Amino acid sequence: MNIHRIVLLMLAIFILEGSLMPWLIPSSLADRLIPHFNFVLIIFSALYSSRHYALGLGLGFGLLQDIMYYGNAIGIHFFFMGIIGYGVGILFERKRLNVLVVISIIGLAYLAYDCAVYGINYLFRLANGSFPWALITHILPSLFFQLIFAIIVFIPARKMFEKLVVTNYSDTSEENL
Amino acid sequence: MVGFIICIILIGMTINGRDKLTMPEQFLKDSIGSVQKLIYIPASSVSNFFSDIAELKQIYKENEELRQVAALYAREKVEYNFVAAENERLQQALEFKQHQQEMYDYNYLIAQVIAINNDPNNPTININLGSNHGITKNMAVVTVDGLLGIITNVSPFTSTITPITQLNSTSPVFSAISATVLGKESESFGVLTDYDAEQERIVMSLIDEHDPMMKDDVVITSGIGNLYPRGLLVGTVEMIQVGDFGLTHVATVKPFVKMNQLTEVFVVQMNHVVDQSTTEQELETTDLNDNQKEGE
Repeated sequence: MNIHRIVLLMLAIFILEGSLMPWLIPSSLADRLIPHFNFVLIIFSALYSSRHYALGLGLGFGLLQDIMYYGNAIGIHFFFMGIIGYGVGILFERKRLNVLVVISIIGLAYLAYDCAVYGINYLFRLANGSFPWALITHILPSLFFQLIFAIIVFIPARKMFEKLVVTNYSDTSEENL
Repeated sequence: MVGFIICIILIGMTINGRDKLTMPEQFLKDSIGSVQKLIYIPASSVSNFFSDIAELKQIYKENEELRQVAALYAREKVEYNFVAAENERLQQALEFKQHQQEMYDYNYLIAQVIAINNDPNNPTININLGSNHGITKNMAVVTVDGLLGIITNVSPFTSTITPITQLNSTSPVFSAISATVLGKESESFGVLTDYDAEQERIVMSLIDEHDPMMKDDVVITSGIGNLYPRGLLVGTVEMIQVGDFGLTHVATVKPFVKMNQLTEVFVVQMNHVVDQSTTEQELETTDLNDNQKEGE
């Protein structure tokens, strides 16, 4: 599974998030559960393949989300998806981690991401509501939503991203020979 | 030589139209005709099938047009209140300019929602009409329930709506909407400035102290200021209290519109009055809109 297929898969998930998920989430919870599945996949790529992939995917899909849904400002999701993906990549690149640690890393990364996005919006006075309200209303429920998705796709995603690095290594070793 | 003579004899015998065909001719025609029938009739039924499918698109189009007509009739109800109120206020001494009368003829373009982004700081809704269909920035968008938001970005085939939950007096995106109350259009006035996300209510401020607004009044846009159309339903008044400086009142409005699982919205197209010298041009365009509406 090379990088192009992964990009196509994430693009398909992006389109489904915008068009299909609003119909699957019950309408009483619609503004509390916000899917950011691409972010979860970017953290997976940071943990299981190199940090440069995480940075690239984060910047690309953050920019896509900002442009497609441009309401107030472009660049919020762009910056934070990239930076948090790269940060996680630097800290945990290619370590042997078990499931619980991975899930808690994804949870913390998403928490940092959402709080940072809220913080930037608050800085530019675009934010709705106070921070405790935002935390309880949409950050924490979405966190659980994202974690459930992470648990569901854990094994396929890990295989997908580990193969990404393996092919690169085998290419370079052949060149060295 | 013999063949030539036989050929001429044959032509001579058949040239003048005969009563009855000879037996071999009849036999040949019948036998080949039956095979031709076997091929022709299935071919015609297949081509009829495909032309039926082509007509399906016609039926679908008709359905869309009928839906628009039905939506138009639903809108007429609100317009009727305005016409009735305006008739009472008209006096014989007032001079009506033609363009003022036709200014409130709005065109409602029906659009389908293609994507919803529920990001709480940046909620947007994408629709499938764009600049090619006549959408421009800052057009108001309504659903069946009430005012939804305004168009903020336009590309040739899609546009983005910012919903009314982004109303913010400090934000550069959404400017305040002037509003009045259904039934008291000439006496009540307020400005929709903010949206309180924690209580999910629109805040209407700058209300005069002696304003006859009461709880449970229906708030509608007033159209004063010519940016947003008038007569769009917004919500109901819940609470009126004294404002920040004690000079004006502030009301909280519960919006009608539900933002979840939207399928279709209406974009309100206004016929803008630019200046009086172009009155004739506007007369032509508004006549065209009237004809379009009647045609639908």
